[in-house]
Amino acid sequence: MTALSVPAPPRKAPVLPEGLTLGAAALVLVVLPFALQGLGLTLTSATDVVIFAIATLGLNILVGQTGLVSFGHGAFFGIGAYAAAILQRNLFPGGMVLPALAALALVAGLAVLLGLLILRRRGVYFSLLTLALSALSFTIAFRWTALTGGENGYGGVQRESLLGLDVGDSWVWYAVVAVVGFAVLVALARFRRSPVGTVLEAIRENEQRARFLGYPTNRYKLTAFAVSATVTGLAGVLMAFSHRFASAEPLGTAFSGELLAMVVIGGMRSLAGPAIGALFFILFRELLSIWTGDWLFWFGLLFVGFILFSPDGLVGIARRVMRMIRPEPTEDAAMAGRRAGTPENLPAFLRPEGAVRPQEAVRPGEAVRPGEAVGGTILAADGISKRFGGLKAVQDVSLAVRDRTLHALIGPNGAGKTTAFNLISGMFKPDTGSVTLRGGSVAGFAPEKICAAGLGRSFQITNLFPALTVEDNIRIAVQGRHPGRFDVWRDARRDPAVRAETAEILRWLGLAGLERAEAGSLSYGGQRLLDMGVALATKPRVLLLDEPLAGLAAAERTRIGDIIKRVSTEVPVLMVEHDIDRVFQIADAVTVMNEGQVLVDGTVEDARTSPKVQEVYIGSGTAAMAAKPRPSAAEAEVLLALEGVDTFYGKSHILNGVTFDVHTHEIVALLGRNGAGKSTCLKTITGIAPHAAGYIRLGRDSLDGLSAAATARAGIGYVPQGRGLFAGMSVAENLELGRLRRRTGNGVHWDEERILSYFPRLRERWRTAADYLSGGEQQMVAVARALSGDTRVLLLDEPFEGLAPAVVESLFETFDALRKEVSIVIVDHNLDLALALSDRTVALERGRVMHVGPSRDLRDDLDLRRKVLWL
Amino acid sequence: MLFLTLAVEQIVNGLFLGAIYLLIALGLSLIFSLGGIVNLAHGAFYAIGAYLTIVVSPYLGFGGSLVVAPVLVGLLGLLAEKFLFRRFYRSDPILSLLLTFGLAMVAEQAIRMIFGAPPLPYSIPQALRGQIFLGDFVLSRYRLTILAAVVVAVAAVWFLLQRTTFGRIVRAGVQNPDMVAALGISLKPYMAAVVMLSVGLAALAGVMLAPISGVHPAMGAEVLTGAFVVVVIGGLGSFWGVVVAALIVGIVRGLMVLVYPGFAEAAIYALMAFILLVRPRGLFGERILRFE
Repeated sequence: MTALSVPAPPRKAPVLPEGLTLGAAALVLVVLPFALQGLGLTLTSATDVVIFAIATLGLNILVGQTGLVSFGHGAFFGIGAYAAAILQRNLFPGGMVLPALAALALVAGLAVLLGLLILRRRGVYFSLLTLALSALSFTIAFRWTALTGGENGYGGVQRESLLGLDVGDSWVWYAVVAVVGFAVLVALARFRRSPVGTVLEAIRENEQRARFLGYPTNRYKLTAFAVSATVTGLAGVLMAFSHRFASAEPLGTAFSGELLAMVVIGGMRSLAGPAIGALFFILFRELLSIWTGDWLFWFGLLFVGFILFSPDGLVGIARRVMRMIRPEPTEDAAMAGRRAGTPENLPAFLRPEGAVRPQEAVRPGEAVRPGEAVGGTILAADGISKRFGGLKAVQDVSLAVRDRTLHALIGPNGAGKTTAFNLISGMFKPDTGSVTLRGGSVAGFAPEKICAAGLGRSFQITNLFPALTVEDNIRIAVQGRHPGRFDVWRDARRDPAVRAETAEILRWLGLAGLERAEAGSLSYGGQRLLDMGVALATKPRVLLLDEPLAGLAAAERTRIGDIIKRVSTEVPVLMVEHDIDRVFQIADAVTVMNEGQVLVDGTVEDARTSPKVQEVYIGSGTAAMAAKPRPSAAEAEVLLALEGVDTFYGKSHILNGVTFDVHTHEIVALLGRNGAGKSTCLKTITGIAPHAAGYIRLGRDSLDGLSAAATARAGIGYVPQGRGLFAGMSVAENLELGRLRRRTGNGVHWDEERILSYFPRLRERWRTAADYLSGGEQQMVAVARALSGDTRVLLLDEPFEGLAPAVVESLFETFDALRKEVSIVIVDHNLDLALALSDRTVALERGRVMHVGPSRDLRDDLDLRRKVLWL
Repeated sequence: MLFLTLAVEQIVNGLFLGAIYLLIALGLSLIFSLGGIVNLAHGAFYAIGAYLTIVVSPYLGFGGSLVVAPVLVGLLGLLAEKFLFRRFYRSDPILSLLLTFGLAMVAEQAIRMIFGAPPLPYSIPQALRGQIFLGDFVLSRYRLTILAAVVVAVAAVWFLLQRTTFGRIVRAGVQNPDMVAALGISLKPYMAAVVMLSVGLAALAGVMLAPISGVHPAMGAEVLTGAFVVVVIGGLGSFWGVVVAALIVGIVRGLMVLVYPGFAEAAIYALMAFILLVRPRGLFGERILRFE
């Protein structure tokens, strides 16, 4: 859980003066042999530096650029060396070019095959597999003596003449290696800037999003793996010629680790960083080994030091020093000068061709082209259903999005709208039913296919490429539908068509002037806007937006809402959104879902006036339990007080100056629509989502800055939504964990007997594993566990969710009885129940307290309830 | 019959090695599930355990070092947890991977500095030498004894995790650390204890293997890849997955020694590749999103 981050001004992405890097590299290559000899080292050391630099540059394509840490690149180095040596001796005696080329082809082919296997896993697993690759190749090379010479290595490699040059001479050979090294650097510089190279960075930042922009990321990763292995293999080939010898040693994990250490120490986020690391490694090894045989020990310590204090390596340190000397300008001015006028029409190139004709436009008797949808419907879900385990998340949902309209999907928490949205957008495959776009099925498509079919989607939680610039975020999306996207050579940022479209979209979004800012450093509103821009830049036929307004301030809501409305007049939009005020203002059609099914499907007026919809949102005021008056037990003394509490998730400002209090033995209902901040408010009180500003007091103690564990020990019991029981543990064991550290004297003491007097049913279930209980029993365990120990305040998040009416009633009575023991804060979407149970209501809206008052008024007066909690 | 006799002998040898892998893999899996750290330095703790045997056993004997070495290494683990691991629990797992790799490098070199590069001999204690004859089968007394000891150690770990309050807190922490905190339990001391326990198990494996294969600086790196194969086959974070995988790897390796000794090592990697093709998350592995 990340919280506490206060928005900072946008940060400019570090820009690499690439020409400067290449010039400096050329200079270093010329000076290197003389400099090393000046330090008392040999020409061989200079050659080794260049060879290791090539190997690390190759490795860094995976590590720094694609974000895949390989512990096995020594294998490709070693295989390259063996292949060149063995081929030269057996097939091309005395030759150099042919054995080298054949060896590279072999390494490349092998890398493709191994990549197909290893790239099945990502992250940590990928690293473990490469580790195993290196161990495996080492044992094979070591044991297959007939081929590799085993322990003794494979000698007899010749280095005499290469294209008429006398490479037997060390100086000439150094010159050849230096030229090859420089060529590799230039080529990799181009590769980095090419469409493929920039997509690799996008994969590092956010692979899922790259797929939803239409990139088949597996192909890109395989390309990266093969290129990376081949470049490292080239270094191995050069090494074999250089030392006229190949051995199993580089295949072992130790050498792979050293290569990785060079990359990290040099700096994995820059072009030439790994080469600097290679130079550093050789200098360190050669100079320190004059003094001590234990240079590797000190090298290891240094490596650990870099991981701890400068994961960006030497280049990162240099950048920090530079920033101290000459601070980089932040983009404050551009942010302030951002144009925020009324939205314009979409750029022409994003307008879809061939709008779907409304039914009226089809002349009688006219044959409809196969595949052409008529009647205005462009995207249709027909009877889709999805189960998760035993839970029917979505049942038989149908909806139809007409061209050039804004279609909203709304409903209370747990209504299944996000699942329905994910079924339509291809995230999940529906169990039954069909999803069709312009008459063609798209159900169960892979993300990249969905995008190609014409569905562009944004995400509930901002889902960008955070370390890339704003411009690159849009450019990657634009590039995905241009023919050059598999190009490895051309400069991706100089493609005139892609560039023009990117600039036009940025201008249209109002992000012009912020092109060079890192996407992750934009304000939350800026990120949401960019997120939508990225989805639009894929030129979708239908745009799918998942809660585009969540977490935004009022002014930004209006602005982004207006932009969405404008977009929908050209590109139809389907959006899931909690903010029903905005939805009712801007939507053309509304589908309301409840409990996995469609409740109302029609116009805004249909939804607004539907009694069924109102009942879902604000209750009917007629529940049986509500009828019986519940005497309050509240006392005058304030037990829990929040004052001006602010909470952030990342950059998203969730709670804004929340102030309310809870009296001893009082029940307070915390109400408000989805996304209002109710759950976050409970998590803030527990310390799980710590507040960045404001004060929380419990009795005489302050809870500010306390850890979640310390807060719980102060006497706060928490029942999360979904109950959070520990699977595989019995009821007794779950309760034991609740009691273990909370016998503190802070509040009422809840021992086994006392708990069982409130939840007698648990006595029979005492030894049953919690995951085998019914939903109602599980909820009882969750409440009992929260009480276990010494508890003063009980926080309940959606305690009635998903329970049968009889169970709800019994829980309700239990809570009613509990008010004599503890204070309770309850969040529930069933307003009739929450209002009937509680003494007072605190209504939240967009993270602010909008209303505090007696619950009875809201319970009895539906008009007042509508006013406070509806529109 | 001769073949069968040899096969049983090699299977016992393989199971012995599988048992050593198991002790290491269990610790790896525990640290990984609770802290999200893949500890590449785990082999180093194993090697330190083996070296401590050489230091300690002249005074306390083999039996003494079986107790003392794991305890001392556990304390070392406590320091590593407090000053290094703790900073990486919630960061990118790739960073902790690099960190522990560096630590492994430092530890191996430190061993070289202190004890020298050549392997140090260590022989099987007198009481455990010799063979046990079971009909036609000839089995090493030492290996059988150690196998039994490992079974006891693994059973003890199982008991600790499944049947004690400590274990319940650890398992609850793996499932839902926020909820554990919301019950007033701080996971920090438990994390430290889990690291101590895990590296202690690795040290125990080191003591047990010392008499078999000698003690040398690179032994940590060697055993680690084998243990990772076990973890990858079994599925990270799964107790029974790791146990089953260790048995499979041990048996396959033992049989390969019989059939094609040069490639016994390679065979277990081939086995891993095959299992990954069929079951990408390992035999019992669950999907943990942040490590993918």
